[in-house]
Amino acid sequence: MPKRPGPFHPGSLRLGPTLLGPALLGLVLLLQSCSLPWGIRRQPSPPGGLGLGSESRQDPALSGDGRLLASLVLRSGRSTVLLQDRRSGQTMPLPLLQGQQPHSSPSLSWNGRYLALLVWRGGRSQVVINDRATNRLLPLPLRGDREARRLSLAPDGRHLAVELVEGGQSRVEVFNLGEWLEPDPVPGSLLQGPGPGSRP
Amino acid sequence: MSRPSQRNPRVLAPAPGIGLALCLLLGGCLDNGARPLMGLNLQLAHTAVNRDPALSSDWLALIGGREGREQVRLVRLSQGAPVPLPGLNRPDARPVSVAVDQWGERLALIRELEGRSELVLYRRSLQSLQLIPIEPAGVPHRLGFSADGRVLAVEVGRGGLSQVDLLELP
Repeated sequence: MPKRPGPFHPGSLRLGPTLLGPALLGLVLLLQSCSLPWGIRRQPSPPGGLGLGSESRQDPALSGDGRLLASLVLRSGRSTVLLQDRRSGQTMPLPLLQGQQPHSSPSLSWNGRYLALLVWRGGRSQVVINDRATNRLLPLPLRGDREARRLSLAPDGRHLAVELVEGGQSRVEVFNLGEWLEPDPVPGSLLQGPGPGSRP
Repeated sequence: MSRPSQRNPRVLAPAPGIGLALCLLLGGCLDNGARPLMGLNLQLAHTAVNRDPALSSDWLALIGGREGREQVRLVRLSQGAPVPLPGLNRPDARPVSVAVDQWGERLALIRELEGRSELVLYRRSLQSLQLIPIEPAGVPHRLGFSADGRVLAVEVGRGGLSQVDLLELP
């Protein structure tokens, strides 16, 4: 059993008076860039009223390319998915999902064409995929008396993993969507090839 | 993806698995083009509990095991088999949320250990585990990865408010 990892600490610095000014300047720049150990960078909140830090956010999901962020916010007391550009904070409309709150467990494909999530329909939680390219809402009804609790969509849109609860027990099942959805192609990958699971 | 093997009737041959297989077959089908990966789903069903799946291309990360002894598991879909994660799971830790990159190389994990929650990054080829500090301090709850494993979104509880921290990893 490996040792429990400890946090990294910046090494101590011994500086002469002539280096103190540049060192302080560097420290200020370092703090402004919100840098964390080993080059990890914390993204500052984007400008505008819809910044990431201004209201309660839950259940974040990134598109495969990292450009889009889906998260849950409270709208009129109901959990509602919000899709926005990660850097600018600009939101994108999701009109097909209105009136089907509470939403939960959002998951995005590579370019964000597909947004899979759980919505409230017919008195129960249901899996739907919002195809933003064709402006369609695709329901995936589950047979049996099972409740979907969480889901995850593969970035290329080929597979969907669903956590199902039956009799108080959770179980994960994976579905192939290849015959149903057009792929949201991952740049540089072959559509019918082995896929990007193999590292280049 | 080798579909024939996932639907191979031989998978249903063992007598104890017939009922489970029928249950999965009848209960798991969707009324559209979505098709369950029978072989993989049968294998996953042998674990007492599976939850919190995270898919990325050919890789499925999830939390599974028996209540109180759950572990992070990583399965390669095309092979239908789990891969070892040496150094990641601890018997005294409870995994909360997991994410994986498209190569199955990086896993981000929130886990409860010694009464507190922490965020760690695991690199499978190096079998290394790094603690990622939550700053300002907060309690991580859920996370999401970009496919290349370079951007991490973390839901963090701070002072009664849930926020999303975005981290760019080298």
